[in-house]
Amino acid sequence: MRERTIGLSILVTLVFVALTGGFIFWAIRSPDQVQHFLIRMVVVMLIIFLSILFIRYFALLWFGYLQHSESGFTEGDEVTELPPVSIIVPAFNEENVIDRAIESLLGMDYPTFEVLVVDDGSTDRTLELAQQWEGVGGDVEIRALTQRNGGKARALNAGIRQARHPFVLCMDADSWMEPQTLRAAMRHFSDPNVGAVAGNVKVENRDGILTRLQALEYIEGLNMPRRAQGFIGAVNIVPGPVGIFRKSALEEVGGYDTDTFAEDADLTLKLVTTGWKILYEDQAITWTAAPAGVLDLIQQRYRWTRGLLQAVGKRKKVLLQPVPDFPLWVSVLEMAFEAILWPAMNVFAHLFFAIVALLFGMGELLLYWWILLTILDLVIALVTVAMEEEDLGLVPYALIYRFFFILFLDVVKTFAALEEFLKLGMSWEKVRRVTYQPADSGG
Amino acid sequence: MSIIDILVTIIIVTILVTIVLAVITYIAYKLRLARRPSAAEQPHEPRYFDLHSPPRADEVDSLSVGAADA
Repeated sequence: MRERTIGLSILVTLVFVALTGGFIFWAIRSPDQVQHFLIRMVVVMLIIFLSILFIRYFALLWFGYLQHSESGFTEGDEVTELPPVSIIVPAFNEENVIDRAIESLLGMDYPTFEVLVVDDGSTDRTLELAQQWEGVGGDVEIRALTQRNGGKARALNAGIRQARHPFVLCMDADSWMEPQTLRAAMRHFSDPNVGAVAGNVKVENRDGILTRLQALEYIEGLNMPRRAQGFIGAVNIVPGPVGIFRKSALEEVGGYDTDTFAEDADLTLKLVTTGWKILYEDQAITWTAAPAGVLDLIQQRYRWTRGLLQAVGKRKKVLLQPVPDFPLWVSVLEMAFEAILWPAMNVFAHLFFAIVALLFGMGELLLYWWILLTILDLVIALVTVAMEEEDLGLVPYALIYRFFFILFLDVVKTFAALEEFLKLGMSWEKVRRVTYQPADSGG
Repeated sequence: MSIIDILVTIIIVTILVTIVLAVITYIAYKLRLARRPSAAEQPHEPRYFDLHSPPRADEVDSLSVGAADA
């Protein structure tokens, strides 16, 4: 096997060297022909890149629209079956935000649920603050557990083991939930094939350009694909800040694994592997604080990218086998596409077109490309923001969304992916977040 | 210089500057990581000395008994 790989590598290198040599020879002999060839190649690549982009966006928009029109939920809707739920809040050094998270849970419009705060060996007052809530929740039982620091996945597993109810909601301690969240999500579990429901994560701290761009990204870049995947019952990431699970499904797959940095994505793929349907509910809303600093944002995306690639890496054989498990194949392929293929293509395409425009004076083509993409981004931002009944003030940020924000993040993702392929070490660094007090934190 | 040329220049500069900026920021992030002490090196207890008070006379006996037992 090893010898075959070496042989193949040598062959690929030889072919590459021969092609490069031939091209240089051709360029020296007939530069005009080479220039024409390059211009044609640029146009072909531009068409391929734009085609993939358009197909991706329109497929996501169409499926997202279908999901939106089919699964509308309003607060007045009658939901007949409301089984009891255990809410698990893993927390590590969250003394600034833990009270707000628990307070939001106590305001939940749902008949029967318990709250389990699992302190992951915090060195601050997280456990002490959580314990102060024990016995004060009225009908809602609140328990605070503690364990030696072992990571979020272990804390969640500890919470699942202690959960007394047949459904489990996992959230982050730095998030807070809207009252209708459980009621909106639980109605989907009347279908016995549904193993999990992914909620809608929104950015609450929108006080700077970076956080407003992230707010738009959560709506357009994260929730829109999730909505589209929800239409076919194959959401590939149930997000950490709000995921509702059938406890029997979690037990069947053995809970969270501790060998990736994206335990939520990994668990979701495990559920898809065992044949559970995974849906999306846009009224299961959780507000979270996005990183306000550039380095903190990079740290978060670096961890997401490497975590996703680790989750994909555990199932790399699936990538070559669309049958017999087609939903799993689609989920893994899409994860690999979003984590590395698309970011790398995006960076390469921008760089390539910018250089070609400079070298061959094809600036006009670049301008049309920019205008086309910007119009597309504005339309998509408008549609998705309207679909989520969000702040229309976010739409103008679409003007700098692709050519600045997404390009910036894609460079980071490409580096993170390279590091993952090189198997460089990494550690779980907690993202610094400021305590944010929204004006209407009661709602 | 026409408006098209100006727009093209802005787009090209934005793309190139964004990529360069991202690379520099990524390096800054890695430097920050490298400069941060790892979890194993971080002290679990305060670095400062604890205030030590000499034991009272009646405690000295019990301490010495304990030490003798040990």
